[in-house]
Amino acid sequence: MRRGLVIIYSLLFIFLLGSCEKGEMNRTPRENFESLWRIIDENYCYFDYKDVDWNEVYDRYSRQVSDTLDQYELFDLLGKMLAELKDGHTNLISSFNISRYWKWYEDYPANFSSDIKKKYLGENYRIAGGMEYTKLKEDQIGYMYYGSFSSGIGDTNLDHILYFFKDCKGLIIDIRDNGGGSLAYSDRIAARFLNEKILTGYIQHKTGKGHNDFSDPYPVYLEPSSRLKWLRPVVILTNRHCYSAANDFVQKMKLLPQVVIIGDQTGGGSGFPFNSELPNGWGIRFSSSPMLDVDKQHTEFGIEPDIYVSMTAEDMQKDEDTIIEAAIANLISRSEQK
Amino acid sequence: MRNYVLLILFFLGTTLPLLAQTEDIYHSVNEGTIIGVGGYNLKDTYLSPGEDMKYGGWGLRVLNERMKLLKLADGQISRQQIFSVDVATTSNPASTANNLAGFVDYTLAYHYRFQILPELKILTGASAHGMLGFIYNTRNGNNPASAKMDIDLNISALAIYSFKIKDYPLTVRYQMEIPFSGVLFSPHKLQSYYEIFSQGNTSGIIKYNSFHNKFAIKNYLTVDFPVANYTVRAGYLGSYYYTDVNEIQSHIISNSFMLGIVKEFVSFGGKRAQRNANKLNSAYY
Repeated sequence: MRRGLVIIYSLLFIFLLGSCEKGEMNRTPRENFESLWRIIDENYCYFDYKDVDWNEVYDRYSRQVSDTLDQYELFDLLGKMLAELKDGHTNLISSFNISRYWKWYEDYPANFSSDIKKKYLGENYRIAGGMEYTKLKEDQIGYMYYGSFSSGIGDTNLDHILYFFKDCKGLIIDIRDNGGGSLAYSDRIAARFLNEKILTGYIQHKTGKGHNDFSDPYPVYLEPSSRLKWLRPVVILTNRHCYSAANDFVQKMKLLPQVVIIGDQTGGGSGFPFNSELPNGWGIRFSSSPMLDVDKQHTEFGIEPDIYVSMTAEDMQKDEDTIIEAAIANLISRSEQK
Repeated sequence: MRNYVLLILFFLGTTLPLLAQTEDIYHSVNEGTIIGVGGYNLKDTYLSPGEDMKYGGWGLRVLNERMKLLKLADGQISRQQIFSVDVATTSNPASTANNLAGFVDYTLAYHYRFQILPELKILTGASAHGMLGFIYNTRNGNNPASAKMDIDLNISALAIYSFKIKDYPLTVRYQMEIPFSGVLFSPHKLQSYYEIFSQGNTSGIIKYNSFHNKFAIKNYLTVDFPVANYTVRAGYLGSYYYTDVNEIQSHIISNSFMLGIVKEFVSFGGKRAQRNANKLNSAYY
């Protein structure tokens, strides 16, 4: 009996030895630098569009890498290397810091004041699914502020919001300072503003390691919602801090005849980001799948509004939002023309 | 060889004609339910594109298997069904990210048995196998999970050896399953699930698989032994699964120690229960 058990356990041990794989712990600065450069080289999607010479970047940063770098110095160096891509969707993520490139809005006027927005909302505004909403201008204009496409909004939320605005002449959707989130919410909201399915753009993905190895552009459509819809005039308010899913929302809404975009150019961010990681466990995020507009053009650097309007210092001193006021005037003017 | 191929096709078919009837002998079912704990090693380059990152950890597996002799080919054919559920939690070598995984497997096998020695049976045949599962990375944003869906045909073989050590009966079983043909689900490299499921670009996501892009093997080594009025089954299950499809490399490796109970019973379902009521002392009928 004992001999039999010894044989059995010996066999099990041999099987285990044969099947175990050692986790590779590769944490030298050089190895992590090489890994990051290669992952981006093989998977990033905007090298040619942005005219980034990634081999030149390698030469410049490789000289600065040595095994004497501590983790903070290495992180700063690798973060700077990623910033060469000028991409808000590209980050290095460690347990002590997240590298980022935010110049797409930091270098531009804010064109948004949260305090002034609150004055317009008043005290009795409603909140549904991350959307803050109220009526302006003697209840003629519906106003909704959506600060993040990560705030879940459901169809029932949208039903209630649009029903609340049923007697309004026009609708303002303010997405200034909206840094993005889920494309599903972008589609869900946009689906309330059209009667027929439309082509809104294209999506691609990388198919190989080459900088131009992409799949054929695959058409992206927007289908109308079967629920309560809004086909009266709409104004979307934008600034440079509208990014990613917010940029996607503007791209779709701009195609609709009753929609006018007012404010500043959006920040862009049309590359669908993927995550990976380095041997030392730091996370990476980078744009990997270009989302093209209906003319198969990139909107990575933003979408221009139909009407450029900037907030003036004079209006701000009076707690007035120049862009909201322009939107109200536009909606009233358009509703009177009909 | 030709006969062997015909045999495989025959048993994987949907119609299984009954041959010789052996009314006098009931064909019992051997059922084992075993639970195991073991080490897991996961890699999936959909979750970490460009990096050969292996996640290690542990997992839990529950496996139920049933074997029964059929009234086919003079009782030389047996059917085996294996239903397995396993979950695992793993982390990368730096312990900065976790991969959680879960898989459900079902295998239906038919074996022809060769009685080599009075104590030794060799069973060879084929099995159909289906697997559904996922690997979920808790840190990733737009590529948070890698969904797994496989349907395949396997080469299946067992050796069952019964012996005694000082009158103490033991039955050792070694079994292996190797898939040789099937289909599996795989997104393309860097293709988002948004593109596949929200926008409907499903081109090329179901792939034929064989040894050129998939190698998998399951090794079972178990021993059955009586303890009081129970039969205990203890053993080892090694599962190795490697795929390289749509430029995504994946592996799922587990080595589990299993322990459970076996029972041998005659199934009387439906009219058979009524027909044999006089032979049973049922608590219900």
